[in-house]
Amino acid sequence: MKHRAALALALLAMALVPLAGRDYYTTLMLPFFAYGIALFGLNLLFGYTGVLSFGHALFVAVGAYTAAYLTSAFGILHFEVILLVAIGAAVVVAIPVGLLCIRYVKIYFGMLTLAFGMLFYSFLYKFYHLTGGDEGMRVLRPTLLGQSFPTLDKVGFLTGPYYYYSLALLVIATFVMWRVVRSPLGLSLRSIRENPDKAQYVGVSVRRYRFFAFVIAAVFGAVGGALLSIPTGLVDPLLAYWTHSGNLVFMLLLGGFTNFFGPILGAFVFIFLQDQVMSLTQYWRLVFGAILAVVVIFFPHGLMGLVDPRRRAGT
Amino acid sequence: MIEAALAIVLGGVFNAAILFLVSAGLQLVFGVQKIVNLACGSFYALGAYFGISAVQWALGAGTPRPLFLAVLLLSGVALAAIGPVIERLLRTIYARDESFQMLLTFALVLMFEDILRIVWGPRTHVMGGGLYTLYGQLPFGAVKIPVYNLLVILAALAIAILMGLFLARTRFGRIVRATAENREMSEALGVDMARVYARVFTLGTALGTVGGALVVTSTAASLDMGIELIVDAFAVVVIGGLGSMRGAFVGALIVGVLKAVSIATYPELELMAVYMIVIAVLVLRPAGLFARATA
Amino acid sequence: MFYGDFCALDGVSLAVRDGEFVSIIGPNGAGKTTLVNVLTGLVRPTSGRVRFKGGDVAGVGPVPLARLGMARSFQLVSIFPALTVAETIAVAVLAQLGRGARPLAALARDAEVRERVREIADLFGLGDKLTRPGRTLAQGDKKLLDVASAFALHPEIILLDEPTSGVSTRDKTTIMDVLVQASKRIGIKAIIQVEHDMDIVFGYSDRIVALHQGRVLADSTPEDIRRDEHVVATVIGKRLR
Repeated sequence: MKHRAALALALLAMALVPLAGRDYYTTLMLPFFAYGIALFGLNLLFGYTGVLSFGHALFVAVGAYTAAYLTSAFGILHFEVILLVAIGAAVVVAIPVGLLCIRYVKIYFGMLTLAFGMLFYSFLYKFYHLTGGDEGMRVLRPTLLGQSFPTLDKVGFLTGPYYYYSLALLVIATFVMWRVVRSPLGLSLRSIRENPDKAQYVGVSVRRYRFFAFVIAAVFGAVGGALLSIPTGLVDPLLAYWTHSGNLVFMLLLGGFTNFFGPILGAFVFIFLQDQVMSLTQYWRLVFGAILAVVVIFFPHGLMGLVDPRRRAGT
Repeated sequence: MIEAALAIVLGGVFNAAILFLVSAGLQLVFGVQKIVNLACGSFYALGAYFGISAVQWALGAGTPRPLFLAVLLLSGVALAAIGPVIERLLRTIYARDESFQMLLTFALVLMFEDILRIVWGPRTHVMGGGLYTLYGQLPFGAVKIPVYNLLVILAALAIAILMGLFLARTRFGRIVRATAENREMSEALGVDMARVYARVFTLGTALGTVGGALVVTSTAASLDMGIELIVDAFAVVVIGGLGSMRGAFVGALIVGVLKAVSIATYPELELMAVYMIVIAVLVLRPAGLFARATA
Repeated sequence: MFYGDFCALDGVSLAVRDGEFVSIIGPNGAGKTTLVNVLTGLVRPTSGRVRFKGGDVAGVGPVPLARLGMARSFQLVSIFPALTVAETIAVAVLAQLGRGARPLAALARDAEVRERVREIADLFGLGDKLTRPGRTLAQGDKKLLDVASAFALHPEIILLDEPTSGVSTRDKTTIMDVLVQASKRIGIKAIIQVEHDMDIVFGYSDRIVALHQGRVLADSTPEDIRRDEHVVATVIGKRLR
């Protein structure tokens, strides 16, 4: 039960952050919320199903560009609508991509998903009439639950209503993923991770379930992407670049993929550590590359693995 | 008209030659060690930057200008010295899942990008000095093709043939092929895996750095050239089949020429055309055109 | 059944009826594994059919076959290392109930699944180990879990590939008794096993099929087989009691 207490405390702390008045750090929490949601999806694939995608950024970009399109091209500002359309777009993209990629495992799957991410990147980059090319597209301020908060300036909006909206979405996403992981599908996915051949022999349709996981992951990625686009107000093709996917995997590994909350911890540590390191040196990639190397070699179960070494995903 | 088309294709073959070198390095390392080395693009970038510096230093020290190509080749080969060092690092996780190995190479990609930035700065570097056209240009109707391109194509061909001979005829080459086919058996037969891995990785590294060195005469060296190249290299490897040298050759030709043609005809499609071929190949022949069964 | 030029099975015809316990015996290379792979839909025969419940199931694959009511266990113990005993059996139960894909149902509250898991676990003597992860079990228990998960599919017919391999002689009859008991309780209609241990074969089979070099040498009751000198010499050797 101490886990429940720790969670409640964390939630309370997150809710209180805006009240501390440090706007810079409050706005830094926003990409953390977004990445946390996206990473839940990635971990469903990796931690629970045993499949590593190097193209998750594709769906983050889908969500972000959906927000950009709806707000600046169509003038639709209801964030709830944006989310629904983003989810729909994710499903529409995930179905053909998933059907093709899921036929492969391990390295081939990683390479294929990387290729699809880059395909989307090149589409976003080259078709600048549609997408704004490398200049990107604007994302206008959305309305939350119908409210536009006209009296608030950008910072006020981001550190106030949008902050709590994002936090609420993270909480909802956590609940949904918790249910998925504890469901029959979740158990079947874990059996696929443990031993795909045996899973088949006890009646689990390995390919089909991997496909379901892929689509669900895509949805979470797109929701994260939509959330990610609002604070900066801008989306650009680099969101789909393969190194962005690589960073997502980095975050996941950092937090720990064998624990349900690893993704959230990974997103948090990555965002804040990156901020700190960037303020110290422009060579943050060198530092982060070294961190990733250390994690991969010495702490493959990430930070959660240090905290709770026996706690495996779903136990 | 025909000449213009041929010129475009030859440009594509030049790209293909470079791409082949880097992809061959990727294939070799994957075939033997089963590691997908995302950092091979970084080696390529390193070869490019170092190549420029080496040539500038050599020319400044009095080397006759026509020898710059030799300087490039030598500098590329010299950089292979980092191969054993990196291999040592990767050795720590050989027993782990492939995903982790790929992630470690991603860590290297990140680190290398900043290392390049630290040593050479953030701006692109150009070889300059008219070296690209030093060997002259062949007139081809209305178009002129630099002899340099042809030299590089010949060099890549020579390397391809040498590699083929090496793998087929020499003792070490046979060990490499045997290990790629069945590692446990090789080990059981007394092959020193550590040595094989170190050498193969070094060779793979050299191919990447030489590729970078050769391309930098005509293309500027930039910080993201490696990250961009890896995507093309992946396309080559998927089309040709993981682990196959012949596949690297054919795949590189397809990708190189296709990119050149689509830049000239439908620029929007450029990269997308390559990926559509990748997807088509995967749908029709999932293992690639020349894949070999890996044990 | 040809693998390239190699003929693994030649003119093999096998019929299994309700209530039968059939053992397939034969020296290594006789084609036993190929036969089982063909029967369980893993491999498509170059010619011929596999009829199960009125349909041809040649080459359909393990998942559709499991749904139709055929299950299989393997010689090499195969488990889900990180899943508990309960979870392992639950995977099969869920598949059998057709509920394996539900993404939002709360598994912990599914009483029917819980009951079925307990029933199977008790049948195999694993009832007190439900929360133990598979990799922590003793080898014998791993084998039982492996077979139990096949039984959890409530199949009508089950194929056991060397069910007592890797088990000490003392435990062999225990395991076989557990298997036969469990089959009766679950309602399995027929058992086919591939087995090398002749004591087990003769002790439990209603019928024995002897394979040699891809052909059926004999297909009859244990008594008849015992009296067939050719079969005894070729397949069994002199280990018969």
